[in-house]
Amino acid sequence: MQHPGHDLDDAPPEPAAGLAIIASQQERVRTGATVDGRLLFLAWGAAWLIGYGGLWLATQGLDVYRPPIGAFVLFGVCISGAVVFTIVHALRRSAGVRGPSTTAGAMSGWAWCLGFVVQAAVIGGLVKAGASHEVVGIAANGMACLIVGLMYMAAGAFDHQPWLFWLGVWVLVVAGAASTVGIPLTYLVMAVAGGGGFLVGAGIEHLRLRASKAQVGGTAVPA
Amino acid sequence: MSDVELDPVIHAQARLRVVATLAALAPGDRIAFTRLQELLEMTPGNLSTHVRKLEDAEYVAVTKTHKGRTPVTYLALTTTGRLAFERYRRSLAELLGGTS
Repeated sequence: MQHPGHDLDDAPPEPAAGLAIIASQQERVRTGATVDGRLLFLAWGAAWLIGYGGLWLATQGLDVYRPPIGAFVLFGVCISGAVVFTIVHALRRSAGVRGPSTTAGAMSGWAWCLGFVVQAAVIGGLVKAGASHEVVGIAANGMACLIVGLMYMAAGAFDHQPWLFWLGVWVLVVAGAASTVGIPLTYLVMAVAGGGGFLVGAGIEHLRLRASKAQVGGTAVPA
Repeated sequence: MSDVELDPVIHAQARLRVVATLAALAPGDRIAFTRLQELLEMTPGNLSTHVRKLEDAEYVAVTKTHKGRTPVTYLALTTTGRLAFERYRRSLAELLGGTS
């Protein structure tokens, strides 16, 4: 059965056109079937900036640095929003693809999930043991960042993405600094250095993609 | 020197697009026929025709399975296919650059 354009489909491309086809299909897969790190870092950068920023602002002018429930609700909404966005984005982009990379992605997803479930259990244990609001706040934040930083470092190491490894290092440094300064400054450090770190990460990923695209494009149509 | 031979199986626009798309996936990964069709914007009949030619050359492996009760066909580039694609890409660059 012949389809319209069938002859054109069978036509051998000129060398430059052939390389351009390869570059354009690679770009199509990148934008349609792989996770866009820029979008995830933007989502998490915004979530930390707004969520932690809200907690810090809410403590201003208070004698006891205990943010009102509204600030925690805003924080929860920001973090949940970023989690949902990450899951939906990853599932949509990997739809219809099976194999080693999706298996690794699923295992990594379970590692994140289990890490945070255990973190919640440890925090529950601290509350039950009578830990103060400040201790709970620092421990919850520190443990969450420890998970994020180490997961990024591991992903960067195994996926051969040094910049992701260094983003993990940055998250750990920020978490250490945020825990040391104490509440409410913890929230400010997390918002500015943590959220800001993710936004810088989005920028670096954008530049990295642009450079690799230019490299492929350069090969496709050399001067 | 421009005496470069281009693999006739890949050296057709539609099959080059199919192979280039499959090569952009991580080695060992396979993609559902319908998803590939979406990424290539090709009709099912047209894609099937070209996939058959690539399968005959052992460049593409076709796996048929079920998702619930719906049959799903997955396609993946074989090691032979990946090597042929890399060779083809190098040949194109060689033709253009005259060297390398």
